[in-house]
Amino acid sequence: MRKVVIAGYARSPFHLAGKGALARLRPDDMAAAVVRALVARSGINDGDIEDLVLGCAFPEGEQGFNVARVVGLLAGLPLSVGGATLNRFCGSSMSAIHYAAGQIQLGAGEVFVCGGVESMSRVPMAGFNPSPNPELARSSAAYLGMGETAEIVAERYGIPRQAQEAFAAESQRRAAAAQAAGHFADEIVPVSVKGVEVAQDGCLRPATTVETLAGLKPAFRTEGSVTAGTSSPLTDGASAVLVASEDYARAKGLPILARIASVAISGCAPEVMGIGPVHSSHKAMQRAGITVDDLDVVELNEAFAAQALACMGELGLDPAKVNIDGGALALGHPLGATGARIVGKAASLLARGGGRYALATQCIGGGQGIATVLEAV
Amino acid sequence: MGHSIAKVCVLGAGTMGAGIAAQVANAGVPVLLLDRTTDGPDRSIIARSALERLGKAEPAAFMSKAAARLVEVGNFDDDLGRVAECDWVIEAIVEKIEAKHALYARLEDVRRAGTAVSSNTSTIPLERLIEGRSEAFAQDFLITHFFNPPRYMRLIEVVSGARSNPDLVAAVSAFADQRLGKSVVACKDRPGFIANRVGTFWLQSAVNAAFDLGLSVEDADAIAGKPMGVPKTGIFGLVDLVGLDLMPYLKASLTASLPKDDPYQAIARDEPLILKMIADGYTGRKGKGGFYRINREAGKVKEAIDLATGTYAKARKPMSIPAVAQKDLRALLALRGKAGAYAWAVLGPTLAYAAALVGEVADDVLAIDTAMKLGYNWKYGPFELIDRIGADEVAQRLEAEGHAVPPMLKLAAGRSFYRVEGGQRQFLGLDGEYHPVTRPEGVLLLEDVKAASKPLLKNGSAALWDIGDGVVCLEFTAKMNALDGEVMTLIAQSIALVQRHYKALVVYNEGSHFSAGANLGQALFALNIAAWGEVEKLVRGGQQAYKALKYAPFPVVAAPFGMALGGGCEIVLNSDAVQAHAETYIGLVECGVGLIPGWGGCGELIQRLSENPRLPKGPMPAVAKAFETISTATVAKSAAQAQEIGFLRPSDGITMNRDRLLADAKARALAMVEGYTPPERPLFRLPGAGGRAALDLAVQDFAAKGLATPYDTVVAGKLAHVLTGGDADMADGVSEAELLALEVEQFMALVRDVRTVARIETMLATGKPLRN
Repeated sequence: MRKVVIAGYARSPFHLAGKGALARLRPDDMAAAVVRALVARSGINDGDIEDLVLGCAFPEGEQGFNVARVVGLLAGLPLSVGGATLNRFCGSSMSAIHYAAGQIQLGAGEVFVCGGVESMSRVPMAGFNPSPNPELARSSAAYLGMGETAEIVAERYGIPRQAQEAFAAESQRRAAAAQAAGHFADEIVPVSVKGVEVAQDGCLRPATTVETLAGLKPAFRTEGSVTAGTSSPLTDGASAVLVASEDYARAKGLPILARIASVAISGCAPEVMGIGPVHSSHKAMQRAGITVDDLDVVELNEAFAAQALACMGELGLDPAKVNIDGGALALGHPLGATGARIVGKAASLLARGGGRYALATQCIGGGQGIATVLEAV
Repeated sequence: MGHSIAKVCVLGAGTMGAGIAAQVANAGVPVLLLDRTTDGPDRSIIARSALERLGKAEPAAFMSKAAARLVEVGNFDDDLGRVAECDWVIEAIVEKIEAKHALYARLEDVRRAGTAVSSNTSTIPLERLIEGRSEAFAQDFLITHFFNPPRYMRLIEVVSGARSNPDLVAAVSAFADQRLGKSVVACKDRPGFIANRVGTFWLQSAVNAAFDLGLSVEDADAIAGKPMGVPKTGIFGLVDLVGLDLMPYLKASLTASLPKDDPYQAIARDEPLILKMIADGYTGRKGKGGFYRINREAGKVKEAIDLATGTYAKARKPMSIPAVAQKDLRALLALRGKAGAYAWAVLGPTLAYAAALVGEVADDVLAIDTAMKLGYNWKYGPFELIDRIGADEVAQRLEAEGHAVPPMLKLAAGRSFYRVEGGQRQFLGLDGEYHPVTRPEGVLLLEDVKAASKPLLKNGSAALWDIGDGVVCLEFTAKMNALDGEVMTLIAQSIALVQRHYKALVVYNEGSHFSAGANLGQALFALNIAAWGEVEKLVRGGQQAYKALKYAPFPVVAAPFGMALGGGCEIVLNSDAVQAHAETYIGLVECGVGLIPGWGGCGELIQRLSENPRLPKGPMPAVAKAFETISTATVAKSAAQAQEIGFLRPSDGITMNRDRLLADAKARALAMVEGYTPPERPLFRLPGAGGRAALDLAVQDFAAKGLATPYDTVVAGKLAHVLTGGDADMADGVSEAELLALEVEQFMALVRDVRTVARIETMLATGKPLRN
């Protein structure tokens, strides 16, 4: 079977929704800047690209109109390149990668640009016209607020507030250290917002300590354990990776970051959606023929500290290997853009630090998990 | 006109300067706010900090976010040259003549000739301010004395000098009146002008008398507060509010500048206790407390100081004033013992002093009455008070006590200062003749109409007046302008009458507030006897009356001011156009008492929000915004904010000067008459059950966070049912009639709930919402 590789990764800076530096930037323009830079940096003939697949959790308003096609046109990709928008909420852009990998293995293309975009400033979570199915809303937790699911996971898996805060403080520390070490400089594509260049992430709070976090009020339940400090912030951002057949990458001399070893999707109860990565990661590792002990790098999306810790506990992950450059608690979580960020990051970490296997996995609202196992080349 | 004012500069960013700048911005006029230059990276930090404080001021200094953006800050060294961009420069720096002289000298070099320059001084005579200035400067100079806080206090005293250009004074006065919404009172160039001159005398008399008579502050405030129609805080409460340190300051200034034989000189004195309080930081509400303080150590206990010993003790219930003396000044003055003695000791000398000042500080009694009413929040001016007592009685008592009787008071012997003759209000002039009370052009007061005519229609809760040119005015008349079945009956009668004989109708009154909404007391009575049929009749009756107004074949213009809440908001929403006073506080607050809007407010708000181009398309955004606004009982803090929220349309007008509201509303109504067609009935596109599920989920989140009580979620559920169109499918439109029926259905479900009854009872008993 044809091998599929990750041959490039780029993202926009991530900024807080509403008050951040990207709040006045259209998401299609933001994604176009990232796609344009990724293609330019790779040096490929852009006519080779089969399709641009973009994940987006709320594809309406400025990120509607099949935003992938819009972004392709804005980015100046040849008219021959396709464009598909894909929605699996937070798993959207990881699914975009999975879709492209499948197409390549089908022989339906050699190189794809896969990414995601979300302006949580400009398109609100749940969209402009939320209309849940009333019967399902009554009878299930399908539409339960994400914060509430984190509280349920914290309760059910026994994750006390102090543990969540220690984890969040560590995520902030690692992100700050990675930023200081210049580890984000390669991946970030500076974007222009009304004439001003934005080149740095804006969500980080490097001064965070367990003490500062302990002072915050619960954000979702009066007696809850989850706070704004242990939840990923509403974020604006875009990301993209180059997904190619290994043959194509080698023929063109592309810098191969990692090979995709396996992928998986799983479902779970909506009220504990945060635990979704456990089953999907097990499935993906089994398909790759490895166990947790074989992993050198893990990117586990930090939607909430509570669910990240629960997943780490259930999977038996080594905290030292999880989110080495910090996670979404510090960097932010632009829903549709996160999947491609953590796959790109995991692949980059394999390339940077050696090691053989990496796992990128995330939870998905409504009750799903998604996972990708990468292998160093 | 030669002096149009398109940009204003305020020099001095203290409390007054910053507040004036904010009010200019509220008028939609750009302002440059300058203060002293500081060392450091930001040389304009003083003015910038003042602007930041303005943004957080409580009560709010700005009427809207857009207004706040109109203020630009700077400093005297880098930016003074920019006064050349401005048409009016208002100086509001420290009350030191040398500092003002120095700044004016610098202004001479940078301002354009013809740019008005005014001082906000409260104490320094104009002739002294312009000493050493050029002739051109003197011609462009005047005093404009604002009161604190400038947004809310309606008085502005204007003093022009011998050389002031009358056209320029007229232009500044017109701007202050029409754009800043102030009532201009022309004063002569005398120390303290009018309001502070009389007001300081009044406060000093009242404080002196309390000490001399050995009265407690609680008793003094009970006597010289509400019964006299002065702020209900009473004297000592008022001094606490404005600051104890202001008194020695005003005293020093007035004793230095008034003639030696001025009666104020005889009563001015420093009470050692008050000086000690100031020294100890008891400067009033801005300090550690004043004559009253809140003792937090004792658990938020209100305490009052003992004037004899200087010690604080729990505030006592004041002496009881008989009901008749609460309303009738003669009865108050006739009370035996300390109460009557104190009332006279406060009023007698103050009224005599005011009478002696006619001709001295202003040309007529009207100016003095207006200044005291708008500058010191007196319900009646000094001469209106004399009329309530009787000019002869006041004169006789002064004489009997060996005091001089001022000529003006003698002139009024056997007469009153005001009278109504031939339907016109008149005042007694210095010449001993009566003169008509004339209103500036563009000012129409219902008070004058009522004095001159009989109502076209009238019942216990409303009246209809002919305000000329084919326009009628619907007035609410019940306590708090509460709305009930009588109002609805009168609306129905009015529509029939206007259709036959008139062109347009304006909804307006001159109470303290436009309307606090439906008569809850009456509703509660009906609920307690389970008279559901009566309640439902009231709801349906209100809907019919309001919709009949909306679809009447003539224009209906609502002119709200002050509070327009609940049903008071709904009549505004059902009008064809609105001309609102800038200080309008409008909101659908029914949820606070466990109800939902029942007189068409739900549909009207959705319709306005649906027309808002800033909201995204689709059935949900307008509904979600209406839900948020109503379920949280949001009340706009100004007419400008009401436009931002969506209670008012962008096309609705805002009048800055309260006295111009009726004339503006009438003009608006008349402008709509030609070719008028009633609005078309809307067909709402509502999201149905799916949208309701989204709102319910949001409410559950709120409840989980502790931001909604259990009964809040019930009320919100009923509200969501109405706003989303009930069981209608999104693909089908919902008619206005169907939406009104939903309002009735859900309203009636709520009134049957004991928790709603509990909320209404608590609101009526305490004025505060019950969070059950």
